[in-house]
Amino acid sequence: MRSDRRDEELFDEIRLRRALRLDAAELPPRIDIAAIAARARDDRPAFAAASLVSTLVAGIAAAGLVSLIAIALPAVAPALASDLFASALETLARVAIPASAFLSLAEQPTVPVAALAALAVAIVHEYAQRREHAREVTS
Amino acid sequence: MAASVALRLDSRMTGLASPVAFPDAVREHQDEVFGVALRITGDRDAALDVTSSTFLNAFRAFHRYDSSRPVRHWLLRIATNEAITYVRKRGRELRRTVEVEHAIALADANATPDAESVAREDRARIRAAVSQLPELYRVVIVLRYFNELSVDEIANVTGRPASTVGVQLLRGRALLRGALEGER
Repeated sequence: MRSDRRDEELFDEIRLRRALRLDAAELPPRIDIAAIAARARDDRPAFAAASLVSTLVAGIAAAGLVSLIAIALPAVAPALASDLFASALETLARVAIPASAFLSLAEQPTVPVAALAALAVAIVHEYAQRREHAREVTS
Repeated sequence: MAASVALRLDSRMTGLASPVAFPDAVREHQDEVFGVALRITGDRDAALDVTSSTFLNAFRAFHRYDSSRPVRHWLLRIATNEAITYVRKRGRELRRTVEVEHAIALADANATPDAESVAREDRARIRAAVSQLPELYRVVIVLRYFNELSVDEIANVTGRPASTVGVQLLRGRALLRGALEGER
């Protein structure tokens, strides 16, 4: 089955190659290389003119764009800068309000530290008292 | 004289660094370039125009040709692109269908029982079917079975990934088989 299919494909390929081959009657006339060179030379001035025109158009367009930006920027820049500044301030305020609660806690660490220290001292003192009392009883 | 003019122009345009001279490339590959153009456009006049513009463009760009790569692939790439552009620009698809039908009709009319005419008719049918393939598949089929390029070489010429070329070859052959069987 597989071999039949392979044979069929092989046959297809051979048939295709034979069919697509150029017949003697189809062969083209020889290419005249000198004619190609001459045509390339003749076309060159038009080619050069077209490239010059396109360069000029591109240059004018670029100059126009630069001058437009130069004119528009001073008019737009202050408004744009103030908008940017206002939006930056607003964002900063939004972030700062919730952050301030955490910051105030961080600013006063002495309260919990002092409580913990007092608790630790009390525990140590209690242990010391108990150990002394036990020694007195056993001696 | 003509050859010497061409050679002088060639050396001036291309420089001496390139190991392949333009006239040699033309002489060696002109039939192949014409053939790929003919099989893609399906029209002899169009193929002659495409061949001419291929060599003109190649002549202009020969100084940019990377001589470390085969000149054959470079020329086939230009020819393929030119043929595709030609087919698209001139809207030849519709006209070619008429020509193909005409070719089939001619082949049928001239059919005689001898083996040679049967083979000729078979070739005409296959060529007609190839020229009716969608451009995507026609290009890879022509490069594979006319130019005898490998899948990797076709990928290099067309700029498509090799895996895509493989799939397009399979699909193109299936379409061809379908078209040829449909005629029977």
